[in-house]
Amino acid sequence: MSYYDIDSILTDAQKLPCTFELEVPGLGILEGNPGDDIKAGTRIDLPLWLGEMLSIGARLGTSRLVTLDMPDALAERVMNALKADPRTVDLRALAPHFYTLSERILEIFEEEEMVDVLINTFKKRAAEISDHAHNPRGAVGDGVDFLRGLDETERQLFRAAHDRAKQVRIWAGEAKKK
Amino acid sequence: MAFPLPRGIVASEIAFLAEMETVTVVPRQRLEGLELLGGPIEPLVPPRRASLPLWLALLLKRQRRANIIPPSWLHPESLSLILEVESQHQDYKNAFSPPPPLPGQPSVRDQGLEPTARPQYTLDGNRYYAAPPFLPQNTAQTTVSSGEPPALPFHWIEVGNMLLDSASDDLMDPGQIRRLLKDLREVRMAKMRSGVDVLDDAAMGGGGVALTGVGAMELGDERGFLSGVVDGLRKIGASKEQARREQLAEQRANGGYNGTQDEEEDYMEF
Repeated sequence: MSYYDIDSILTDAQKLPCTFELEVPGLGILEGNPGDDIKAGTRIDLPLWLGEMLSIGARLGTSRLVTLDMPDALAERVMNALKADPRTVDLRALAPHFYTLSERILEIFEEEEMVDVLINTFKKRAAEISDHAHNPRGAVGDGVDFLRGLDETERQLFRAAHDRAKQVRIWAGEAKKK
Repeated sequence: MAFPLPRGIVASEIAFLAEMETVTVVPRQRLEGLELLGGPIEPLVPPRRASLPLWLALLLKRQRRANIIPPSWLHPESLSLILEVESQHQDYKNAFSPPPPLPGQPSVRDQGLEPTARPQYTLDGNRYYAAPPFLPQNTAQTTVSSGEPPALPFHWIEVGNMLLDSASDDLMDPGQIRRLLKDLREVRMAKMRSGVDVLDDAAMGGGGVALTGVGAMELGDERGFLSGVVDGLRKIGASKEQARREQLAEQRANGGYNGTQDEEEDYMEF
């Protein structure tokens, strides 16, 4: 996670459902009503970086400003689907940066089971990605649906595996350059 | 970030390194010994065999000044034997066939013997132990200890491919060899892929993944993918790992630590 890493910047911008615990004067702009106050108990989707900052009081033990909830991408429903078959879930539709988002979430929440589910998902899908990447026809063919559902981390994996395999084929004279 | 090449070395660079492997040739013409930066080249006298680096051997072969004697593993019989071990042998269902034995290492037959490494000496008299890239694994040995099963050397894909390309008339049944090399590569690639399941041991908890016997080109091929997977698993499992460490630190603080735990954790299978 480098400061200039575009993926980590985009992860920061993903929305997280937050509930305000206190009434905040003048912050209605977040809800789309500039100038108004925000009432206690309002639920708003805030970017990860902002939600994390506002909820920091919870960790310090003082009265907190907002409480965070699990984002939809990591809801119970999704976890069950991933437990059933990791390969059929369209992660990209859930969140373009699914894994980096879940890393950040797991830093905030302690969810032992979710870690196991995600690790299993990542492994199963990585094996599938490797299969598709070594297919000389590339991303066309039967795998299109699966490959379209890859999140950003998985796309980089696919690209790494595919480029390497292609290089070796070019070196061995089985494929033409470019 | 804008650097166009991927991490690690690319296929053509691996092939370049493989050209330093020594092979055996039968020269057809005389050639004085050469003093090259990479080491002296022995003089070539026609009927006598000589050991040359692969690049020079290929050059002489293309000029029809020498014939290359293929290494013993690059033979349809040896290759089909290795393929059989690789695909049918129970012990190697999830592992790669063993690499050629190091000098002084007991062969597969008499396992259980303690390996006794034979040191070699540099010109200055310093002791050293030769390791795979610097051992002649592709020369046609005259003193092959019989009963030693054939094994794939570190640069098997590169050497095999280059010899098939430029010296196919020196090989026995090149078509068959080509097929067998391709089959071997596919079998081993499938193993590499199934190895993804055990990669999380490498990412967490200080486990390890055995890559004994994997060739240079295979490593280069899988480097980007496998390191990406390990990295991803490590990041996802970071919070769990954190918890594990805290627990361990707590145990240590409570005096429940017996000192051997760390050694077990760091144990890697080679």
